[in-house]
Amino acid sequence: MDLSFLPRLPIALSQPVLFGALLAAGLLGGEILRRYVGLPRIIGYVLAGVALGPHVTGLLDADALGKARVLIDLSLGLIVFELGFRLDFAWLKRNRWLFVTAIAESAFCFLAILGALTYLGYPVLLAACAASIGTATSPAVVLLVAHELRAEGQITERMLLFTAVNSAFAYVSLTLLLPFLHLQHSLDWVAASLYPVYILAGSSLAGFAVCMLMLGLAGWLGKREDRQFVLLVALVVLTVGGARALNLSVGLALLTLGMLARNLDRKHVLLPLRFGYGGQLFFVILFVLTGASLQFGALASATLVVLAFVVARFLGKALAILLFGHLSGIRPGGAGLLSIALLPMAGLAVVMVNDTVALDPAFGAQIAPVVLAAIALLELLGPLATQFALRRAGEAHPEAPGV
Amino acid sequence: MDEMQFTPSPELSIGVELELQLVRAHDLDLGRDAEDLLARLAKRKLPGAVKPEITESMIELNSSVHTRYGALREELAVVRDAVVKEAGVLNLRISGGGAHPFHNWADRRVFPTERFRSVLERYGYLAKQFTVFGQHVHVGCPSGDDAVYLVHMLTRYVPHFIALSTASPFYQGEDTSFQSSRLNAVNAFPLAGHMPFVRDWAQFLEYFEKMRGFGIVAGMKDFYWDVRPKPEYGTVEIRVCDTPLTVARAALLAAYAQALAAYCLDERSRVPSGAIYMVNAFNRFEACRFGLRGELVDPFEDRKKRIGEDILDTIADVMPHAERLGSAAALGRLAADVRRDYSDADWLRARHAASGSLQDVVRESSDLWAAQD
Repeated sequence: MDLSFLPRLPIALSQPVLFGALLAAGLLGGEILRRYVGLPRIIGYVLAGVALGPHVTGLLDADALGKARVLIDLSLGLIVFELGFRLDFAWLKRNRWLFVTAIAESAFCFLAILGALTYLGYPVLLAACAASIGTATSPAVVLLVAHELRAEGQITERMLLFTAVNSAFAYVSLTLLLPFLHLQHSLDWVAASLYPVYILAGSSLAGFAVCMLMLGLAGWLGKREDRQFVLLVALVVLTVGGARALNLSVGLALLTLGMLARNLDRKHVLLPLRFGYGGQLFFVILFVLTGASLQFGALASATLVVLAFVVARFLGKALAILLFGHLSGIRPGGAGLLSIALLPMAGLAVVMVNDTVALDPAFGAQIAPVVLAAIALLELLGPLATQFALRRAGEAHPEAPGV
Repeated sequence: MDEMQFTPSPELSIGVELELQLVRAHDLDLGRDAEDLLARLAKRKLPGAVKPEITESMIELNSSVHTRYGALREELAVVRDAVVKEAGVLNLRISGGGAHPFHNWADRRVFPTERFRSVLERYGYLAKQFTVFGQHVHVGCPSGDDAVYLVHMLTRYVPHFIALSTASPFYQGEDTSFQSSRLNAVNAFPLAGHMPFVRDWAQFLEYFEKMRGFGIVAGMKDFYWDVRPKPEYGTVEIRVCDTPLTVARAALLAAYAQALAAYCLDERSRVPSGAIYMVNAFNRFEACRFGLRGELVDPFEDRKKRIGEDILDTIADVMPHAERLGSAAALGRLAADVRRDYSDADWLRARHAASGSLQDVVRESSDLWAAQD
């Protein structure tokens, strides 16, 4: 009897199985946490990831996570594109203090983390890399919380704007620091100095080129939401794939694409962006996968350092916003809430840590665990902080059920 | 002081209230930043006043009291520039027009004051649907009896004010086929409509006391009439206009109201009659639906006439008074617009036809609002 039509054991799990399973797990995790514990769904997505991850059930092992990297890139790509699309240069031009505040928010945060880590005895270079990563607020968390709460208003807008700016700051500063890491192991300074030039120029050029294509095609397609949606998804996915193939920074390319698409669209051919339910899929995937990659180890072994990292990060952001925020037109009391709203760290930071570890094992051994533990903490507390801030600011919709 | 005591005001003084749209720069939908914007404006010394309105997506500009059209127009331009500048700091655009073309009324949030909350509680979704934007014109009257006379006479001209200001052809993302869809949102309120046909101030007070006694109203502000006396200010208030797309046009409407009031009060060529109210609903509908191209029934002459034509005839009648008041050139401009069949509603439709997107319509109308004239 020939039974070769039956699958062979063990059954080989394909990408679609992984994709679907992650979605289902995230959905269930989110819903369970929301219904029975009363916590934001995002935390449920993350905990679903933790449960599937190597520390608990091990269903998502390093190999599976490696395969899922493309899903992370796609999700992050769409999310940072959306974020970049909210960065309005005209606003920064009209409101110079807002520009100053946004830059200071990134710079102070970077310096605060750098200061804290060097004080605690970490090598300056490694501390600077960690500080770069720490500067970024999680685009996924702030976008999702703002969306689910139907939040609208000045604090929400500034939260998204500052997140776009500090994400860009993180990408650029980390890229500029990496050659120094590289030089620790080799004396090839030509290669070391060409590396950031290639990444920064290449990623922005890629973003620019796709932006021009996007504007041209959108103009030709006309103002139809359905067609433009397909166009946007197509070009974003294409850029993610292209940037990876060319060894460029996926995040930087997509952030550039989003920013330029908003600001170079002089003829206003692009309609406002709404990813809707389709976009939700990628948020869930990203949070589950981030959850699986979280490492809590240093929370126990280096509690003090992790706390110092988190506190310095918050103080840096808060100091800048408290100093300059009111000049940029934030209402009294708004600066503190904005600082709280900017707390989340998540998938973007995990990707940055992993990429840095790949380049420099020393970073991986010494400081990555601290950053990953900080991410773990802020991935879980961040959504609560953002939700609290937007609600307290009166910007969450009164009828929105919560995240 | 008794709210119903008629405070005489300088005859034919004018003032306007303009309800304005707060629009988010990134998607051109309505924002909800009225409170932040008002806080910023409170720090600036501006003539008149800027106030909150029923939802957080609106603000209301009140001019100070003027006797001359020119001064009113200049003041409105100054206030407009200040509001546009402060709004820019918050990444908001300001737009005229009687309704936002595509906002979703359910997204609106009621401005957090006791009064507005009680309006929401009483009227339910009507309160949020009331996120429409009108211009009110006040004309000063020497006495309550004059005010009653003027309310009746101006009601005859309500279609003029509607047709001259129409600027809400789009509502909830659709072309309504109306030139002014805004008044349809007002009509739903139980106290909308018009003042009853009373002879003088004493008779009006009698009516008012009865309504107050029934517990139907607490004060004059509970009447959402098209034209109503405002004893506290000593004015008659015309409330049917959509907020025009520019302050220049808002000032022209005030000049027309002033000249028309001068004509009515000085010449007294007509005796108020119940016929005004017999034809009012028909005339009003025609003006909302077709604007200048609609027809009205003249209750004094018993005949139908194109609204545009009736406006041109009326402008000719009131011109001597406009000359005395220094607004002859302004009325000339208004007449020229009527002759070339211009309305803000048609402008908005033309912009939509050109771009195919209501977002672009809002962007262009807010650019027009901010433009120096």
